[in-house]
Amino acid sequence: MRGKDASFRGGPLIDMPLFLAIVAIATCGLVNLYSATSAYVGSGTHGKLADIYVSQIYWIVVGVLLGVITTVIDYRIFERWATILYWGGVFSLGLVWVLGSDIRGASRWIQIGSFTFQPSEFMKVALVLMIARYIHNDPQTEPRTWIDLAPALVFGLVPAAAVMAQPDLGTATILMVTALSMIAMTKIRRRSVLNVLGAAAVGIPSFWYFRTSILHGYQLRRLESFIDPEADKTGAAWHALQAQTAIGNGGLTGEGFMQGTQNQFGRLPDQFSDFPFAVFAEDWGLLGCLVLICLYAFVCIWAVHIASQARDRFGAAVAIGVGAIFFWHTLFNLGMAVGIFPVVGITLPLFSYGGSSVVTTLISLGFLMNVSMRR
Amino acid sequence: MNFPVQRSDVGEFRRRFRWMVVAILVGFTAVFVRLVQLQIFQGDQHRATARENIVFQNTLATTRGVIRDTTGKVLAANRPSYNVYGVPAKIDLEKVWPRAVQYMRLGEKEAAALRDRIVSIRSKSSRLATQQILLVADVDRDVLGVLATNADELVGIEAVPSPVRYYPYGSLGAHTIGHMREIDGEMLTRLLSRGYKAGDRLGATGVERRWESYLKGQRGWKKALKGVAKEKNLDELEARYLEEPRSLEPVPGRDISLTVDIELVKAMEQAMRGQLAGAVVVVDVRTGRILGALSKPGFDPNVLSGGVGKDQLRDAFRRLYSDPLNPMLDKTISATYPPGSTYKPFSALAALQDGTIRPADQADCHGGLEYGRRYFRCTGVHRRVNLHQAIVQSCNTYFYQLGAGINIDRLAQIGMDFGFGVRTGIGVNPEARGRMPTRSWYTHHYKGQFLGGWTLLAAIGQGATTVTVLQLALSYAALANGGTLYQPQLVRSIETSDGTVVQEFPPRVRRVVELDQSDLKIVKDGMSGVIMENEGTGYKYRIDGIDMAGKTGTAQVDRVTGRGVDPKKVWYFNRDHAWFAGYAPAQSPEIAIVVLVEHGGGGGKNAVPVAMRVVQTWNELKQKRLAQKGAPGDAKRGQVQ
Repeated sequence: MRGKDASFRGGPLIDMPLFLAIVAIATCGLVNLYSATSAYVGSGTHGKLADIYVSQIYWIVVGVLLGVITTVIDYRIFERWATILYWGGVFSLGLVWVLGSDIRGASRWIQIGSFTFQPSEFMKVALVLMIARYIHNDPQTEPRTWIDLAPALVFGLVPAAAVMAQPDLGTATILMVTALSMIAMTKIRRRSVLNVLGAAAVGIPSFWYFRTSILHGYQLRRLESFIDPEADKTGAAWHALQAQTAIGNGGLTGEGFMQGTQNQFGRLPDQFSDFPFAVFAEDWGLLGCLVLICLYAFVCIWAVHIASQARDRFGAAVAIGVGAIFFWHTLFNLGMAVGIFPVVGITLPLFSYGGSSVVTTLISLGFLMNVSMRR
Repeated sequence: MNFPVQRSDVGEFRRRFRWMVVAILVGFTAVFVRLVQLQIFQGDQHRATARENIVFQNTLATTRGVIRDTTGKVLAANRPSYNVYGVPAKIDLEKVWPRAVQYMRLGEKEAAALRDRIVSIRSKSSRLATQQILLVADVDRDVLGVLATNADELVGIEAVPSPVRYYPYGSLGAHTIGHMREIDGEMLTRLLSRGYKAGDRLGATGVERRWESYLKGQRGWKKALKGVAKEKNLDELEARYLEEPRSLEPVPGRDISLTVDIELVKAMEQAMRGQLAGAVVVVDVRTGRILGALSKPGFDPNVLSGGVGKDQLRDAFRRLYSDPLNPMLDKTISATYPPGSTYKPFSALAALQDGTIRPADQADCHGGLEYGRRYFRCTGVHRRVNLHQAIVQSCNTYFYQLGAGINIDRLAQIGMDFGFGVRTGIGVNPEARGRMPTRSWYTHHYKGQFLGGWTLLAAIGQGATTVTVLQLALSYAALANGGTLYQPQLVRSIETSDGTVVQEFPPRVRRVVELDQSDLKIVKDGMSGVIMENEGTGYKYRIDGIDMAGKTGTAQVDRVTGRGVDPKKVWYFNRDHAWFAGYAPAQSPEIAIVVLVEHGGGGGKNAVPVAMRVVQTWNELKQKRLAQKGAPGDAKRGQVQ
């Protein structure tokens, strides 16, 4: 038994399984990134891209440092900071409107000096803290109604709407499903759940009906090409089809490290951002994928395990929230690579190249470790 | 800091965790199941697609076969030509493009249009933009040189060889040899399976068209990898990813040797210099081989076959098709004319065979014959003439009388025995059939009534009777050789590009006309008289020392009114066609010759001199070749082996 105080009596005990799983995934991701960009070696125009694994290492270092901070500081302190962090995040999302630099037609980045960062990534962590705080402070014994849960939903909807307007459908989706996952922890009235299912039965068809006014052109094309990939083999569906070809090309044992032809001959678009898994699957085959999927699944399940062991509601909610971010990112990214989800720009944690993504992932895993170490 | 312990509250979540684990497992299992589907069950299919993605086939060009004349002179060959292609995605419009425009010597308008096209392709699709587009066709040597020297800076721009057909003799024999055209969309869809591609040229007329499948050759291909970075070891990659066979050598087209002697065609052209339009055919009476064919006016196949730019091509076609003298028409094969008096030998043979006339029978010519309610005019007043004199002097009255005593179907039948009214089957260019009118034809076309006068007209080769120049030449060849009608032959042999004969075409007999040789002798004596006797219609125009026999003809044409023709030129189009059909030498014939001068007037005056000069050249050529190698027909290819 630990003491009543949060400070460690027997010294901090690192959660070894979680730590090893994260190290394994990050190592695979880095090695895979090297393979994904190796095709660029010596190609004049894209030559610089061959070196991005080095900057990925820098980002991992930064992420680990920040993750250590979020591990070391008792998570309950963050409960108090949650409101400030959350509204600060929403404010910075607003800032994107003013300062945002335009990349691929979407304003997602804020530039400070030569340093750009993506507030929507950090918003995910802030959202988890905010909803965890709400759940923490609202213990109920009776099953909840949606009115009881309305504030938590609003906390999710506000940043999701802001991100959606950037427009970034992927992150908005992650924010919403994360919020919903955390709400799903609570005991909800059976009738309320049925109401939601009924609303979905009406809402999804009507969303499809009004899709042209809700979604942006390219989002719409991606969605439609997902529904019918054969219709447009040159446009949005092209990426998905090439990724599936690469994955299929891997077969059981894969083409070998840095041997996947789809990747090495430049047939795979967005291979280091959206489709690193396709590179991995082509290089390592089904067996490699099985190992990787097990690692990801382990982290997700371990997050639930940590939540179940958490000492308080806030800790449990944070663990579930962090696990949800991790799980949904992984599932959506793998799903879009294998073609069971539409192509939305959702990164694969610790595999996709990108500072904001890596740092956010490591920070959030820091929280998970934090909860695990203080049960 | 102190935190209160809140352990008890966690109980609310307990029941949910299990479901969350289930959800996680379901999600990852779904991904894994899909992976099994992609990598195991569809693995082969995806691997094949992946291989297709990185391998492409480079087309290896082939060369079109050469067409030669009977002595081995090249009539159609290939000349090197270069097209400039560009990859829109690679061309730097700011730095490279202006220089390229300067090097290619493009006009401002052209350059602007091309630039617009590049920009629009780029904006439309990034994948299309990586495919080459044609910038300029057939650049000249200077431009090619400049492009080659500056190849390094002209990223995305490339000169690609694309041979163009070249006809060294220009318009000589152009109708026979034919010309090339660029394949159009409709044709392409039909011919895609036979290995044609957009931008290909194929034979449009003549031998080029008829023998297209032999001439074109077969493209080869070579597999290559796409998207290989420069530093990679290409050989090793190719060995790994390219399946055998990795290439297919192209097969050059077959060469074709014609029966035509281009020197003879040149003589025809020179002999016809004084005339506006017409046709000449010379046939070997012993084989049916066509030794020369000329249709005037002609065209230059070099201009029509591409390699001059689209605008010039369009102008050339417009000019050719608006010319009232029909330069594109092959008048030896595709057009029909009334044969006029050149048909008389056949009428005479029919009557002699049937016994409706005897050689000694005489007619009294007072300048015509009254038959029914019509007066049929003769060319002059010939007094009393027998058959021999009637042929020599071309007396219509004699033949009107002959016609009065014979059935029109009999006249048509002997014509068809000699190959009139039926396509000869030469196979080159669209062939006209001509017409041998029968009684049933007349009743069909003239509301059931038949007039006896039509038989009189048929006997002198007028009325509804029409023939092609080639038919006439072959029928005279049959007269000359004693009645053997040959299949006309234009191609002697097919050879591979290294000179091995693949196929040789022996003469083919169509039919042997049953003739009483004594009847034939009477007719042929008459035809010798045409040239050799004082009264002969061709006597005045003979050249001493040229041994030739034949029959002149002056064929009346349907009267043209001003409509459709320039009024100032109506007189020309109303003038008679001048004919000469004959063979040489008169006693032991080797060639048959037919000369048609469209709207030339009298046959003796206008057609005989042409025939004389052609036969004269043929004699000279024969002597020369005898002295050198052997008979003209058997001369070997001029190429040094």
